[in-house]
Amino acid sequence: MSEGRLRLTILGGFLGSGKTTWLRHQLHTGTYGHVHVIVNEAADAPVDDALLARADQMTLLAGACACCAGQDALIAALLDICNRRSGDRDPAARLEHIVLETSGLADPGAILLLIQAHPILARQIVVSGIVVVVDALNGADQLQHETLSRKQIEAADRLILTKTDATQTDEVARLRATLAALAPAAQQSGALFGSDANLPDYDAKAIMPYRLADASDTPITASQLDLGIDADWTAFTVWLSALLHARGDHIVRVKGVVRTPAGRLLVQTVRKSVQSPEILPESAKNVPTDNSIAVIGRGFTQEQLRASLVQFSA
Amino acid sequence: MCSACGYPAALGHWTEAGAATPHDRLRERFRRVQVLQKVLKGSGVTAHDGGVVPGIQVMSLSGAQTIVPDLEALWSEVEGYRGRPFDPLDLG
Repeated sequence: MSEGRLRLTILGGFLGSGKTTWLRHQLHTGTYGHVHVIVNEAADAPVDDALLARADQMTLLAGACACCAGQDALIAALLDICNRRSGDRDPAARLEHIVLETSGLADPGAILLLIQAHPILARQIVVSGIVVVVDALNGADQLQHETLSRKQIEAADRLILTKTDATQTDEVARLRATLAALAPAAQQSGALFGSDANLPDYDAKAIMPYRLADASDTPITASQLDLGIDADWTAFTVWLSALLHARGDHIVRVKGVVRTPAGRLLVQTVRKSVQSPEILPESAKNVPTDNSIAVIGRGFTQEQLRASLVQFSA
Repeated sequence: MCSACGYPAALGHWTEAGAATPHDRLRERFRRVQVLQKVLKGSGVTAHDGGVVPGIQVMSLSGAQTIVPDLEALWSEVEGYRGRPFDPLDLG
């Protein structure tokens, strides 16, 4: 259901984690094609906009964080971009992508909810990914002391570790294990000044993750649910909508691809909110990860989820 | 687009994305209410969808009735009737 809609990537990460540096390199290499960059800075005196001169078009939102106090400004900026795009008759010049660089104090999940709850933006924009940049040097410390840093990681689809060259290899490995525990479905990669860098491998069993800001919580677990070859989409949606209603606050993320009569649907949720499923291209080969759903959250086990889902689909 | 107000029709609820044709949509509605009737058994709430009127009818044992547009609204309504949310993990 992304047809015709503008794709939006939310780029988040804690203060000083390297968001702008990473984005600047992506603009240089043209990763996002014809792109409009929105930079949000919580401070009144912005500097990031000067560093991002490569973007085709840029909007600067300074003085308030877009996930809370600056929501109205963000919505106005997005509406303006959508308006101008729909007036654009030349398909080649049409804007394809928006990258929103959030302030270091923003919760990307809150911005996603904001866009999905808006009656016009929900039709115009599809959030295609949440990229969160993590500073390998200070990331562990932030995770141990800042609940916000942890929220940012939980919302991510993709985690970029920066400054790995300035950090001991074993510390990077320990940070990776901690990130994997918080966001088991997020893909991790390394970057130095924006270019790809290798990350050290780690043995998940041998490494003790860092203790986190509110470690008294029950730990987050990732469960994998197999819907079978003839996945029953309807039963699955009845189950998932009930689960999100009853336990949405404890479900960090649900992600997977389900085969339905309408095509291969990519289902993604962040907390209580479900993104409108995107139809993925059919592939000739049978993709082994199809009809398998990852549920990440706390307060339940994989067996409980499976037993409950069977009651709906049987 | 609604011809009375000119406002674009509401974006379909995510749970309805699995059907692309009218046939599939109707089949999905019947399947949906079948699943609901099964899992709601014993919960004090029943659901009905005859496929004619849009929406799902929710009824409590005392006779209160509501028509809800989608599953998300249904679970809120069920919670309202029962006084607590319906937790699917209780069925496991």
